[in-house]
Amino acid sequence: MRYLSLILALVAVPHVAAVDFEQDILPIFEENCFSCHGPRKQKGELRVDSRAHLLRGGDSGIPSLIPGNPTESYLVELLKDSDPDFRMPFEEAPLASAQIALIEEWIAEGGEMPGQMDAVLEEEETSDHWSFQPVERPEVPKIDGAGPIDAFLLEAMSDKGLTPNPAADARSLIRRASIVLTGLPPVPERVAAFERDFGANPESAYESLVDELMSSPHFGERWAQHWLDVIRWAETNGSESNLYRKNAWVYRDYVTQAFNEDKPYDQFVREQIAGDSLNEGEAMGFLVSGSHVPPQSVGREPTAIRQARADRMDEIMQTVGASMMGMTMGCARCHNHKFDPITITDYYSMTGVFQDIEFGGRRPELAEEHPKRKAAQPLWRAIADQRRILETTGGPWEEDWGGYKELLFDAVTTKKVRVSFLTRNMKLDEIEIFGTEERQKNLAAASNGAVASGPEEMFGDVRTRFWYVNDGEYGAFGLQLKAQEESEEKPWFEIAFDQPEEINRIRLSSNREYYFETDYQTINIDFAFSSYRVEVENENGEWIEIASIPKIEKANENQPGRAAAIAEIAKATETLSTVGPQVSFIGRFVEPVVTRVLSRGSPENPRNEVPPAAPLILNGDLGLDSRAPGPARRLKFAHWIASEHNPLTSRVMVNRIWHHIFGMGIVPTTSDFGEAGALPSHPELLDWLAAEFVDPTVMGDRAWSMKSMIRMIVLSDAFKRSSSPSKEGLLADAGASLLWRFPPRRVEAEVIRDGILLASGSMDPSIGGKGYRIHNVKKTYAQWEVVDNHGPHTWRRMLYQERMRRVDDKMFTAFDFPDCGQVRAKRPVSTTPLQALNLLNSPFVREQAEQLANRVVQESSPSDMKQQIRRSFQLILNREPDADELAACQEVAKETSLAQVCRSLINSNEFAFLP
Amino acid sequence: MDNKAEYLSSQGRALLNRRDFLRQSGMTLGGIALTQLLAQDGLLAADEITVSGKTPIRPHIDPDNPYLPRGSHFPSEAKQVLVIYCPGAVSHVDTFDYKPELAKFHGQKPPGIPEVTFEGPTGNIAKPFWDFKPRGKSGKMVSDLLPNLGGMVDEFSFFHSLHTQTSAHPQGENFFNTGFTMEGFPSFGGWVTYALGTENQDLPAFVAINDPRGLARSGKNNFGNGFLPAAYQGTDFNAKNPPANLARPDKYTDRDDKAAVDLLNRLNSKHLELFPGDADLAARIASYELAGKMQVSVPDVMDLAGVPESIHKEYGTDTGTDLKREYAKNCILARRLVEKGVRVVQLFNGSDPSGGNGITNWDSHSDILKTHAMQAEIMDQPTAALIADLKRRGLLDHTLVVWATEFGRMPFLQANGTGRDHNPDAFTCFLAGAGVKKGFSYGESDEFGFKAAVDPVSVYDFNATILHLMGLDHERLTYYHNGLERRLTNVHGHVVNQVLA
Repeated sequence: MRYLSLILALVAVPHVAAVDFEQDILPIFEENCFSCHGPRKQKGELRVDSRAHLLRGGDSGIPSLIPGNPTESYLVELLKDSDPDFRMPFEEAPLASAQIALIEEWIAEGGEMPGQMDAVLEEEETSDHWSFQPVERPEVPKIDGAGPIDAFLLEAMSDKGLTPNPAADARSLIRRASIVLTGLPPVPERVAAFERDFGANPESAYESLVDELMSSPHFGERWAQHWLDVIRWAETNGSESNLYRKNAWVYRDYVTQAFNEDKPYDQFVREQIAGDSLNEGEAMGFLVSGSHVPPQSVGREPTAIRQARADRMDEIMQTVGASMMGMTMGCARCHNHKFDPITITDYYSMTGVFQDIEFGGRRPELAEEHPKRKAAQPLWRAIADQRRILETTGGPWEEDWGGYKELLFDAVTTKKVRVSFLTRNMKLDEIEIFGTEERQKNLAAASNGAVASGPEEMFGDVRTRFWYVNDGEYGAFGLQLKAQEESEEKPWFEIAFDQPEEINRIRLSSNREYYFETDYQTINIDFAFSSYRVEVENENGEWIEIASIPKIEKANENQPGRAAAIAEIAKATETLSTVGPQVSFIGRFVEPVVTRVLSRGSPENPRNEVPPAAPLILNGDLGLDSRAPGPARRLKFAHWIASEHNPLTSRVMVNRIWHHIFGMGIVPTTSDFGEAGALPSHPELLDWLAAEFVDPTVMGDRAWSMKSMIRMIVLSDAFKRSSSPSKEGLLADAGASLLWRFPPRRVEAEVIRDGILLASGSMDPSIGGKGYRIHNVKKTYAQWEVVDNHGPHTWRRMLYQERMRRVDDKMFTAFDFPDCGQVRAKRPVSTTPLQALNLLNSPFVREQAEQLANRVVQESSPSDMKQQIRRSFQLILNREPDADELAACQEVAKETSLAQVCRSLINSNEFAFLP
Repeated sequence: MDNKAEYLSSQGRALLNRRDFLRQSGMTLGGIALTQLLAQDGLLAADEITVSGKTPIRPHIDPDNPYLPRGSHFPSEAKQVLVIYCPGAVSHVDTFDYKPELAKFHGQKPPGIPEVTFEGPTGNIAKPFWDFKPRGKSGKMVSDLLPNLGGMVDEFSFFHSLHTQTSAHPQGENFFNTGFTMEGFPSFGGWVTYALGTENQDLPAFVAINDPRGLARSGKNNFGNGFLPAAYQGTDFNAKNPPANLARPDKYTDRDDKAAVDLLNRLNSKHLELFPGDADLAARIASYELAGKMQVSVPDVMDLAGVPESIHKEYGTDTGTDLKREYAKNCILARRLVEKGVRVVQLFNGSDPSGGNGITNWDSHSDILKTHAMQAEIMDQPTAALIADLKRRGLLDHTLVVWATEFGRMPFLQANGTGRDHNPDAFTCFLAGAGVKKGFSYGESDEFGFKAAVDPVSVYDFNATILHLMGLDHERLTYYHNGLERRLTNVHGHVVNQVLA
């Protein structure tokens, strides 16, 4: 809710204007606008009889009246709009052009409204929505023998006259806890041991089981999968070419490790937003987890290019908003949020925080003690040493960095650089020029004021342009030049800086994007240029050569020391690219531009400048302006989110944890804590958990500890309850949202696949690293095809199956495995015949059923069919068959094979449901 | 229990009555659970909040079987829908949108033509590459590129003033088929099956018949479920390739299969005794039964051996290029699926640019004369035969046919002088069949076919209209996802009432 109060100051301001409001304008408003935007009704929060309202604007978030500026005044734009969905008066004939002209003139003269000239709309930026209120720890109901969680739950149950179920049996409990905590069912030996210990002392047996499961490295894998779903992380771009994102998986490993190490949640949040400042660059894969359209598929229209950038920013907004804030920020992209007190200004201010992020790859910033950084250090030293040798031998040299070539030369100050090629054809996607002042600043970038030019008659493709070579986009559209027929003149181009710069390095590349950022493409990524010369213009306008490849080559021939040094550098760069921090798809940095509100969400309608900030309703002023450097923006924002005073952060995360444990959140809409989201089923419990998360009293001694929070919840009686139905319970609360029973649910695709591999003994349990591939190598504009989704190379946990956006894996996509297109706070659970077919007939299940049967035979006495069937039940269902089952299975095994029995067990409901 | 049932809608009570399975296996608890599940349709606080202020209409989905037919929002003639989708962007000015002015300005570059469009610099206006002739009783002008479809114009309602939001194919396909340019939204077919279920329980509710050359550029998005439950994704197969994992593994015999499935049912029934009436468990048991039926009925419908020679001839499975023959078979398959009551059939005429031998879809940036001709050879005869066959069999009486493409092509050439670039501001699609006016054209593009001019129709409007024809209110067919009641038409769209019969 936004509270408005109108403060009127009745001061008459004498002024002479050609258009008189009361005589000329008010009648137009009265006749055409008042029925919706007048004293009685204010559709879209706008009333046109109030100057203060006009100055503020309605739900569009754009001022309707900007005195003296009719063109920018939204009122005029709407009166003239050609789109009937927007034009005012709505669904009526447009105003006469004379009337519109009159209004324009009135605004041009200052838009005066007598008696209202000092009226201000005071907006009190507060909200009474529950989730925006500070978290205050509620008192725990006093119930004997119940911990805080159970006390809250039991109180709610007793209000409804519900009796909770008794505790689950040992076998259900260990299966449930193992799957919830690690995503893997327990092995039979552990079940047997647990049943034994549980018989002696249920409490201690269960507690030590939980501790064991939570210290397993598989714990992090399970919980990483949940987080990756929420942010729809994937290893391809989506869109037309759906390119593979090289080394994006380092982010997946970061998340797994964060859970395994019990990284405090506030730190987890900060690193994902501002990992570059915190030596955790890999964590920033978070920001670029959404899909994006790479520049070459956007097209060449400037409007489309701007739109694509705005779409990428929106993906970032969705990621941050949904996962950490529980807010649907995207709703405020085109107008003020319809349900929540988030304005269009808030939205664009928040995009300002992320202005320095672009989808792409970079070498991650890592802590000094990180093994990759340690491995890289001697190599960087070696390169520096060799460079010193080269400097002393004199003259420029060229290094090959795989994706680009770097030319190094003595520093020289100039306003213009010319690159001339000694071949008749050339193609460059980008040139970068660096100097000695700010070593990382690309002086050739158009965003730094540099301009590219050259001979247009040499365009090698009608679509090429000089500015493509310094537009900051790798691999998109390149500069392609071709010598004209019967002409001796070879291709060349110039870069002009807007002021003299001292320069000493030039980087040239033909397709850096494909080299560093993608893989599994059939495309040729070789350099499309070879020999060239570089000249600079001196103060007298003369061109001075500073480097030439033929001369460099000659110098290398003549001075063996140079050749050796260059070879050493090549060796070091090569090694660096395998053992050092590699370019990974975790985002790259661009120069932040001034952020503006985009009216109706369109980049073609930029409005007022906004500072980088979080939503104002949540005290989001970060004290920044448009000059703030990108990393500082994100770091401040990260601290704002990860603050214990932020009312959303802890609530959203404890609710998410709850959701993954019980299959439903205390707030069912886990990524929407706004007005349109659902209300908490147990508001006090939620707040108690949120308070406990940041200020632990009983869960442990570490603030923001996700492990402590998870542990506390799974140790509750609620988690340990039997899932059996009861008539009373179903009548009062069929969905078990009050947790009178543990709600049974179908397990996720991963649990099915991993569980099969574990049972058959095929699973490779290794943690992390590059994922396994089930797809082909393809042409850029082609669809990924499943080549092998079942062979031995795929026998790892499904977390490591390369996550491909909107590609059917022909197996588990049918089990609601997300397409990674939109954020997925929770997976839907559907039941379809395609699932049945996949689980009955796929090569994966057929092979695993056979593996399982072989394993069982090996582990039992070969002729004892009963024993074999018992072992199959233990491995798949963690229990013994009863007499009926044993007999039925024996019959089938005899009639067909043991593998058919295993196939049935793999398909059984019992295997697919959390007990 | 019985008095609980009083609170159910008649539909809900009907559901209860049908649930013999649950009656046998624990009627009381099952009944209660169902009652509650139905009540949960309105559980979320968010349910009543939509941007348009209209109340969502939730389909009453039987937890046992998400595919059982459900009533539409209001009565409609169309019960099924066939979408013929032409990826790559068909040139409206060379097919259905007759613009004599183009001949007048041929070779000129009048003011108003932009310097750069999607693919780069622009060239001059070009007259249609094929002559236009009046066709049918209505005399509708259609070019010689599509003579067979041209002969059927009296059946069609054309939209000539369509415009879209993007000039890139994948975003355009996304937009046309999911209502959003971005990734991850449910497809039209997904929405319709979510709303209506399907009549034939032995076949998938929604079949995507992909082009012989492969998937279109947006891949699975075009027939995906997005954030809807996976039950509502299209099942993709065509006349050549069955759905993945349909057949039992070669290694197994019928006896193996039967033994395994019988054992499975036995295990599941026993397990269900522990959770009497649990709808999720029951649904999974039912899904295996459905799978078994599909294993029989899908190969059956794919088997064209019994189709009479005359039909093959009519569709053209025996003449022309290999691609056309393949596509013609897909058209016969499409008709058979419609005939068997499949709710949504989406037939693709084109793939992404990597698929075929030189020509993969309608995209024609260079040498449009050749590329459009090759694509038209594949599309024209079989598609016309398909629509005619549906009509002859009376299937058009309750089937809506949608012929669509993501955008149009420019009235001027690209700088290369042989191809036409993407045109998001004007293009043509047509509807036919149940509920649609015959021999009708709606809206106009400008004199060059450059921009929509008279009665512009957005893709939202188009989708709102085809949902309306299926008896669905596009503003009330919603699904809560991440803070919003999402719709196929986002927050836009007006039904074009003029094309309704």
